[in-house]
Amino acid sequence: MDEKKIREELRIWILERSGATPDRLARDDQPILDEGLLTSLDVVEFILFIESLRDEEVDIEAIEPEVFNSIDTLVEAFFADSPTACEARS
Amino acid sequence: MRPDRSARSLRSGFLESARRDPAAIAVEVAGQALSYGELFERAASVAATLVRHDARKPDDDPTERPPLTAVFGQRSTAVVAGILGALLRGDGYVPLNPGFPTDRTRSMLQRSGCRAVVVDEQGAKQLREVLDGMPPGLVLLLPDAEDVSELASDLPTHVVLGARDLEPSADWTPGPVDPDAIAYLLFTSGSTGQPKGVMVAHRNVNAFLTAMAERYAVRPEDRFSQTFELTFDLSVFDLFLAWECGARVCIPTQAQKMLPAKYVQESGITIWFSVPSTAVLMSRLRMLKPGSYPGLRLSLFCGEALPAEIVERWAEAAPAATIENLYGPTELTIACTLYRWDPARSPSECELGLVPIGEPYPGMDVLVVDESLAPVAEGETGELLMTGPQLTPGYWRDPERTARAYVRPPGEARIFYRTGDRVRRGSAGAPMVYLGRLDNQIKVQGYRVELGEIEAAAREEAGVEVAIAVGWPLTPAGADSTVVFLSDAGIDVADVQKALKARLPAYMAPREVRHVDRFPLNSNGKVDRKALVALLEAKG
Repeated sequence: MDEKKIREELRIWILERSGATPDRLARDDQPILDEGLLTSLDVVEFILFIESLRDEEVDIEAIEPEVFNSIDTLVEAFFADSPTACEARS
Repeated sequence: MRPDRSARSLRSGFLESARRDPAAIAVEVAGQALSYGELFERAASVAATLVRHDARKPDDDPTERPPLTAVFGQRSTAVVAGILGALLRGDGYVPLNPGFPTDRTRSMLQRSGCRAVVVDEQGAKQLREVLDGMPPGLVLLLPDAEDVSELASDLPTHVVLGARDLEPSADWTPGPVDPDAIAYLLFTSGSTGQPKGVMVAHRNVNAFLTAMAERYAVRPEDRFSQTFELTFDLSVFDLFLAWECGARVCIPTQAQKMLPAKYVQESGITIWFSVPSTAVLMSRLRMLKPGSYPGLRLSLFCGEALPAEIVERWAEAAPAATIENLYGPTELTIACTLYRWDPARSPSECELGLVPIGEPYPGMDVLVVDESLAPVAEGETGELLMTGPQLTPGYWRDPERTARAYVRPPGEARIFYRTGDRVRRGSAGAPMVYLGRLDNQIKVQGYRVELGEIEAAAREEAGVEVAIAVGWPLTPAGADSTVVFLSDAGIDVADVQKALKARLPAYMAPREVRHVDRFPLNSNGKVDRKALVALLEAKG
C-alpha cells in the first residue's frame, strides 16, 4: 500500500469513528487529538487498524504520545519504515 | 482522638497543604508544574475576579442565582485554578466538558443556573456555539487568555474577562462555607433523555476524603494519576485526596492518555485510579507485562465491574501495588464500598469472574432488599440500598426523581439511596458481590450510560416510536460501545448514526445503527434485548 493510500485510509477511519465532517480533517497536519477526532476510547481499535495496514505489530513501548497528533505524525511514526510505503516513495 | 473535621469543606485540605508547604508541587499538567503556592495564587485571583464581576446580593433569589460556578475545559491549569477558584469564592463547581456535544453542554449550563463560567483554551473554541440563545449577562473568565477582545466583540451581551482583568490574589478573603452547601454538581446520564444533576454537599465529600486519607496514608511524595474527565466524579478523588495530603496530581494530556503505560512510568505515578476498562485497554495493547510498574504502591479501580482476570494481570505488572476494587454511584459520593485483592483468598471469592465490591466505608450502612424494599435473607440476592454521611441531598431541581431514588424503607427512620444494582451479601463474613443492574443502565468503558437516553435520542432523530439500544461489544465489565436498532423501513441509518454522534458524548454515541425487519419479543411481549445481542453475536 503506498503512502497516499495509507493517509487516505487513516483519514477515513478517523472520520468514520468520530462522525466528523471531512472539512475537519482536510489537511494531514490538522490536529486530531486537540479537535477530539480521536480519543483514548478509540486507541485499541485504532492501533489494531494501524497494525492491519502495516501487516505487523506496533512496538507500543517505542512510540511517543505525540505520534497521535496528526496524520503526518502517524505516517511518520508507523509507516516511515514500512517497506511498501518506502517503495511507493522511492 | 481524631480532630473535628465536620466543619471542613472541599477546599480545606488544599488550603492546609498550601500553608504547610507552598513550594511543594500540587499539579502537573500539559508539561507545566504548579506548586501549591502558585496554584493558590491563581485560584485566589480567579475567586477575587468572580466576586468583583459577579457580585451576589443578600436578597438574591438562590433559585435564580445559585451559588455555583461552571468550569468549562479539560486538562489545563485554567481549569484546575477555576475549580479551586469557584471553591475559594464559596461556590460549588459545575464541570463542563469540551469533549461533549455543545447542545448537551448548553443544556447543563442552562439547567445549573450558573451565572459565571471559567473557561480554558479548549472551552473557548466552543463558547460562541454553547452560548447561542443563552440569556445575557454571563461572566466568562478566561484566566489564561491574554487577548479576549475578539471573543468579547462576538459575545456583546456577556462580560468577557481575560488574564489582564484578573484581580490580585490578595483581594481574596476567605468566607465561611456551609457544610450542607453544594461542593460540586455533576450531570449523569438520565433514562428520560435528560442528564440528571447530582448535588454533592461539602459534608458528603468531606466524609469520603476523611475515610480515604486514613485508609491509604497518602504521603506528600505520592503522585496521583488522573485518568478521569472532570465530568466523572472519580476525578474528585485524584485532585482532592492528593491536595488533602500535600501530594501531586499528574494530569495527562490527551496524547498521554493514548499511551497510559508511558504516562505511569514517565510521571512516576505511585497511586493509580482508573476504570477497569483502562486496564483492559492496557492489557490489549500489551502494556501489562510483568514488572512494568514497580513504582505503583496503590492501584484502585472503580466505575464498573472489575474482572478478576485483569486484576491478576495488573498484579503481575505492578508487583508492589495494593489493589482495591471500589464501588459507588455518584449519589453516594464517589465510592462507598471497597474490597482489597488478596491473591490467595480472592479468586475463590469472585463470582461470575468479577471481583467482589466488599464492605461499606466507615459510617455507611447497607440494606439488601426485595421489590417491596424489605430486607432479603442473608445470602439472598436483592437491590443494594445505602445510607450514611456520603448520602447526597438528591437531584438538582428535580424533587420527583429525588423522591423515587432516595427512599425510606419500611421500618427505617433514615433515608437510603436505591442504587439499582443487584448484589448479594454473603454469609459468615463473605464479601458483597455485584451481580448486575436492575434496569437498562450499563457501563461503557466505565461511563455510566442509560440506554434509555440513547433510545430517546434515536427516536427523536429517526422520527420513530421505538428504538432499542444495547451494549456492544460486551466486555466482562460492561460494553465497549452501543448499537441502536430501528425497525421502521425507509430510514437512513447512516444519517441517524451521524446525528447521534453529533448529539451524544463519544462514549454514548452508538458504534452502529442497524435496521431489523421487526423487533424480537419475549414472553412478556417486551422487546427481547437478549435476542438482539444474540443477533450481533451471530453476525460477529
